[in-house]
Amino acid sequence: MGVFVFRRLLQGILVLLLVSAFTFFLVNLAPGGPSAAVSLERTAAEREALYRQYGLDKPVAVRYMQWLSGVVRGDLGTSLTQGLPVSGLLWQRLGNTLQLALTALVLTALLGVTLGVVAAVTQNRLPDHLISSVATLGMSVPGFWLGIVSIILFSVKLGWLPSSGVASVGQSFSLLDRAQHLVMPASVLAFTLLPNVVRVARSAMLEVLSSDYVRTAKAKGLPNRAVLLKHTFKNALVPVIAILGLITTVLFSGSVVIESVFSWPGLGRLAIEAANGRDYPVILGVTLVAGTIVVVVNLLVDVLYAAVDPRISYD
Amino acid sequence: MTRKLYSTVSFFLLMGVFGTAHAQTADFDPDATLTLATNADPTLNPWTPGAVVESNLINTLVFDQLVRYDKEDLTPAPALASSWEVAEDGLSWTFTLRDDVTWQDGEPFTADDVAFTFNDVVLVEELAANNGSSFGPVEAVEVINPTTVRFVLSEPFSSLPYYLAYYAGILPEHLLGDAENPLSVASFNKQTPVGTGAFQVAEFVPGSYVRLERNPSYWGGEPKVAGVVFSIVPDPNTQLAQVLAGELDMVTVSDPALLAGVANNPNLEIVEQSQNVYYFVALNQNDPRFQDVRVRQALLYAINRPAIIDSVLKGYGEIATGPIAPLQQALYESDVPNYPFDPEKAKELLAEAGWTPGPDGILAKDGVPLTIEMPTGQFGYLVPATLLVQQYWKDIGVQADVQVLEWNAYIQQMFVNRQYEATLAWWSTPPTPDVSPYYASSAAEAGQNIPGYKNAELDEIMAAGRGATSEEAQIETYREMQEFLARELPYLYLWYPDIVTVRNVRIEGMLDINNPAAFQYASEWYVALTP
Repeated sequence: MGVFVFRRLLQGILVLLLVSAFTFFLVNLAPGGPSAAVSLERTAAEREALYRQYGLDKPVAVRYMQWLSGVVRGDLGTSLTQGLPVSGLLWQRLGNTLQLALTALVLTALLGVTLGVVAAVTQNRLPDHLISSVATLGMSVPGFWLGIVSIILFSVKLGWLPSSGVASVGQSFSLLDRAQHLVMPASVLAFTLLPNVVRVARSAMLEVLSSDYVRTAKAKGLPNRAVLLKHTFKNALVPVIAILGLITTVLFSGSVVIESVFSWPGLGRLAIEAANGRDYPVILGVTLVAGTIVVVVNLLVDVLYAAVDPRISYD
Repeated sequence: MTRKLYSTVSFFLLMGVFGTAHAQTADFDPDATLTLATNADPTLNPWTPGAVVESNLINTLVFDQLVRYDKEDLTPAPALASSWEVAEDGLSWTFTLRDDVTWQDGEPFTADDVAFTFNDVVLVEELAANNGSSFGPVEAVEVINPTTVRFVLSEPFSSLPYYLAYYAGILPEHLLGDAENPLSVASFNKQTPVGTGAFQVAEFVPGSYVRLERNPSYWGGEPKVAGVVFSIVPDPNTQLAQVLAGELDMVTVSDPALLAGVANNPNLEIVEQSQNVYYFVALNQNDPRFQDVRVRQALLYAINRPAIIDSVLKGYGEIATGPIAPLQQALYESDVPNYPFDPEKAKELLAEAGWTPGPDGILAKDGVPLTIEMPTGQFGYLVPATLLVQQYWKDIGVQADVQVLEWNAYIQQMFVNRQYEATLAWWSTPPTPDVSPYYASSAAEAGQNIPGYKNAELDEIMAAGRGATSEEAQIETYREMQEFLARELPYLYLWYPDIVTVRNVRIEGMLDINNPAAFQYASEWYVALTP
């Protein structure tokens, strides 16, 4: 196991290196430039001056080596539009994204697995149909629409929840205040991700329920509860963990749409603003963070497989 | 009868007395805080490259300028400078500064700060300060004494005060003077900037909000609201929802289609404002087809501008006649050639120019069809407006090939590389008649003269305008210029959009004319006490 983890980490570093090189050349070769320079108000002379200030007058390959040598020393560069160190920006935004992501993940996992199991157990009966309908709805409704509609309903009409942001302006830290701000974006995010988990959990459960050992367990007279929890559920977990792993990587690298609609200062919003303004160092910083998250989560998922299913072993 | 009349009169007199007393003791809430929106993290230095629309209004509250707009007609009015005069030869301007101004950290404001702002920041080309190129004719700023500065010019520049009123905040030398690049001091730009303005920054939470509080020693009198919060809300739909929910007090709406839910809310008012903004179609003047004025005129005759204003702008706009918008009351000239929607006239003009219908209905000259490459960018309503223009041109046999680009890539292609034949865009300029940055032959390749229009006669008129020393001469020259532009059409003028702002009715004392001016008088904003 230890060797496996070590080897996977080495592979991960290689992956990050390739991803960073690919992204670097891709964004630098894409049309456009930093928004301060590529704007309607700029004269050609000013634009040249800015490109010199930003070091963009050097060839792309040279710039990549400079950037890489900075990264190795822990320096991710300075944001072109914000004028702040990229690492600081990433830390700030990562914290907010993790808050939102973890909440949404817990909601998705608990609700998704529960609903999936219930649907499987009540296959082709009313609860199953209800759950499937809700799942289809969640899958087909776009997140930004649901976000805006929730704001209009819960903030504008009912006035129950704050419409956006992470906390109220100018107040000292309050858990209740934070929670109130978190409820809507986390729920909307969970609702749009839920269907994946429900469907996978349901079909995995159904598959296991029709297997021989479950029939045996029922035949030898085990109570239903024990059959479900001990024999069925645990064995249905592997695909569920796989889908949760996929969702986690999406969530942790920031949800662009939900973060924009709810003015949530997370990684996703940082990424989209950086991409629009061609803020190269920030684009690369976000890519690195997102890449690291994918590598680590995938590794964790593989380790979890082994823990859940003794047949899986990496030695 | 007499007695009754007497008592009625005294009743009203008493009412008057009480009314005034009420107004004097408690007419506004000194603890009120206004919450406004901005769409991204601002940069709190008006000259830093990249500090644009998300920062401009915040910086207007924090930093004062030498000159601001007049409340009525937007002509230059005193701010940090109490008066100014131009030398007889037009080659220098002397500004007298107020002597009662201090920076928000308590240091006195002096002529050295003005000289620093210009000599060491704005005029230094390598720094590429915002709007730096607007001050091209300024050679240096000399300090005469602590309350007098002189702008030394290389050529007459009658619009100097207008540019000094356009996002041209004065920076503190004592804080930025030692910086290698005064425009990229992160602790200033992103944390605690220091200006002389009505409000000072109390807290900047990145990605969330900027909180300003009143500057009690403001030279224009203590501001009446305790603070102004700028909430960072990127999504325009969310901004509007927040105004409806009362979480925001004001928001500027870029797409009038969003206004549907606002009209019947008693707490909100829709304020239509004007700025010097005009939309246009630029026809690339390096393309010989567009060098023929008849072709340009025909392509404008073919566009049904009122219909586009009705459908795309929901009526919030009026037909443009040139680069000087009607809000420049003293200089705007409406009696110029105009081009009402007339497809027949358009076809006639094109026929005169040699373009006749080909076999497929598309106009052609010498066998070459009149097809136009028309890139557009994803921003505001550029795409729908471009598609409508394409349709109107198609109706007269002109084929425009529209290519929709991501915004940043569009600017690169259209503006930096000038790879386009026609494109629809806009200019937003200070309310000055000096339009040479957008029209001068010298600005054709490297500057903001996007169509690349070159005309020596126009250059002469604009130079005469810059050199005009009397108001009459200025009005006459610029009337001539507007007539010339409307006839020659370096750009096809489309419309002046209204800037639509939705405001909570609790905000009082805020100028309606436009936001740049309203924010220069922010110390007068107040919220009435609810009885």
